[in-house]
Amino acid sequence: MLSLFQQGFEIVFTFQILGLIFFGTVVGIIFGAIPGLTAAMAVALFLPITYNLGASAGISLLVGLYIGGISGGLISAILLKIPGTPASVATTFDGAPMMVKGEGAKALGVGIVYSFIGTLLSIFALIFIAPTLAKIALSFGPHEYFSIAFFSLTLIVTLATGSMVKGIFSGAIGFVFSTVGIAPVDAIQRFTFGLTALNGGFDILPVLIGLFAISEIIKLAENVKSAKHATIQPVTLKGFGFSMKEFWGQGWNCIRSTLIGTGIGILPGIGSGTSNIVAYMVAKKRSKYPEKFGTGIIDGVVASEAASCAAVGGAMIPLLTLGIPGDTVTAMLLGGFMIHGIQPGPLLFVSQGPLVYSIFVAMLVSSLMMLVCEMYGVRAFIKLLAVPQYILLPIILVLCVVGAFGLGNRIFDVGTIVFFGLVGYGFVKCGIPQTPFIIGLILGPMAETNLRRGLMLSDGNFMGFLTEPISAAFLVLATASVVLHIVQSHRAKPTIPAKA
Amino acid sequence: MGNIRKREFATGAVILAIGLGYLYMTSTLPRKQFIDAAFVPYILAITMCLLGVLQMWDANKLGIGASSGAAAKDVNAADTADYRTVWKTLGLIIGYVAFLDPIGFPIMTFVYLFAQFIVLTPIEKRINYLMYGAIAIITSVTVYITFRHAFDMILPVGLLNDLID
Repeated sequence: MLSLFQQGFEIVFTFQILGLIFFGTVVGIIFGAIPGLTAAMAVALFLPITYNLGASAGISLLVGLYIGGISGGLISAILLKIPGTPASVATTFDGAPMMVKGEGAKALGVGIVYSFIGTLLSIFALIFIAPTLAKIALSFGPHEYFSIAFFSLTLIVTLATGSMVKGIFSGAIGFVFSTVGIAPVDAIQRFTFGLTALNGGFDILPVLIGLFAISEIIKLAENVKSAKHATIQPVTLKGFGFSMKEFWGQGWNCIRSTLIGTGIGILPGIGSGTSNIVAYMVAKKRSKYPEKFGTGIIDGVVASEAASCAAVGGAMIPLLTLGIPGDTVTAMLLGGFMIHGIQPGPLLFVSQGPLVYSIFVAMLVSSLMMLVCEMYGVRAFIKLLAVPQYILLPIILVLCVVGAFGLGNRIFDVGTIVFFGLVGYGFVKCGIPQTPFIIGLILGPMAETNLRRGLMLSDGNFMGFLTEPISAAFLVLATASVVLHIVQSHRAKPTIPAKA
Repeated sequence: MGNIRKREFATGAVILAIGLGYLYMTSTLPRKQFIDAAFVPYILAITMCLLGVLQMWDANKLGIGASSGAAAKDVNAADTADYRTVWKTLGLIIGYVAFLDPIGFPIMTFVYLFAQFIVLTPIEKRINYLMYGAIAIITSVTVYITFRHAFDMILPVGLLNDLID
């Protein structure tokens, strides 16, 4: 392990890769800080550019974007009371009142430091859990992989959304799009409509760019004309803005929130967007003074930021060990691996050990850069918040188009991002979650291929999936999560769905 | 309240229609045995049809169970989306992509950006044609040159084919 770490350090500590991590972290923070732009959008935009970089350099850039993008949301959450990303929704609950009370600098300092600690602890969890999990996963066969894929699909639809019907539909339609092209095992062409461009199925990157970047731009067009430009009070950071007593006083809150964040990050399909709210609610419930939450206390900011950033390390665990993305951004990182012909999974730790450890090192370096950049660059980020969205968004769309075109020099891919942008916007308007779609698209082929391979191994007998203990355990868990969700839905009062 | 119910019902109808369409397309696939290339698509198609029916059922229950109270008014009041701008934006994006190849990236990017800035300019702001034109042309040229020379990406030049090598 130590020699692999040493190799990882040697790979990352070059001028090019350190520069890329720094660039990625800064751009990520900007994307996180500006409301409407997200870490997912940043990664989607830069994915095609990594094509021309080596695997380590490309993944390092994406890791920087990811870590910066998740943390950057705290800047606008505190200064504008608008969460820059879903990962910082709960930060507004106490961060914004602190700003109103004149404690904006303190709120920023707390947010920055605890998002760093949350990220760091979750990366350590990743470093210690992932290799062990990968060793176990090496013994997995088609039965286990099918069951894990099935479990992941059921989990995202039951956890990621209020409406189970819409969640399952989203996952199913993602699966449907994955069936376009050559079928696994018997190589029959499916749903290509005579288009040769569809023979290989939909490339995952244009789908991701369309779904997460284009749809977001169309959605923002709904309100951008009437949006009021927010004015930001000047904030000066001196030190971290809080005392050592306050720091130690938040110790358990930070550890608990980090554990929540890492745990939620590991679960497929849900990440920072959920972990920050769950950790905030738990911190409030366990607090000696719950009535003070929401009035501007650092406990709320600590819980939210530590948990949202801890989801980063958690989400990387299933991605690296099983090839299953933990959240939408890691789904895109999966695309980044595929660009370089790398298949994440347990074999990655055997065949590409130095690359895996270079990712760990890149994450550690990026989190450190995030701390420094946010501490010393907060004034510059505040200035960037003033760039009007009606100028920024069309330029981002142009970059999306260039990115999609660059994948294969095909206008077809550009058309694909527009098509999936419309699909994504339709989802938003109908209140259908997008994350299950992308997980269905990615896990669909894994589920289908392993289902068919598993059936071939057990001579067409479905019982093979139940006689293998690990496979059976995941199928039982999948069934239990669905049943539990149905029972909870029946107990809950009927509610009016929120307008998207 | 009626609007929400209609929207949820329509969502169910769309899911059912997609499920039926996919079921029809799946039925045209050649069959070899029970577990073959059409097996998973059949499961997906049937699942979507069932989901469509369930969604419409839920929408109906919503109409009976929920009262036309303040919550419903809030939901309706929250929909202040400017669909005219959305449609214009969609038109511009589709036009941009459609003419990207024949007219070329530099010209179409300039035209798209210039038009899109105008469409998205907030009501209380003055449209600054000169500034928008300058940003559009600088972005178009910078992006083209950067990606052409730094990343060796051959973006379509269309009408400027004779001018740009």
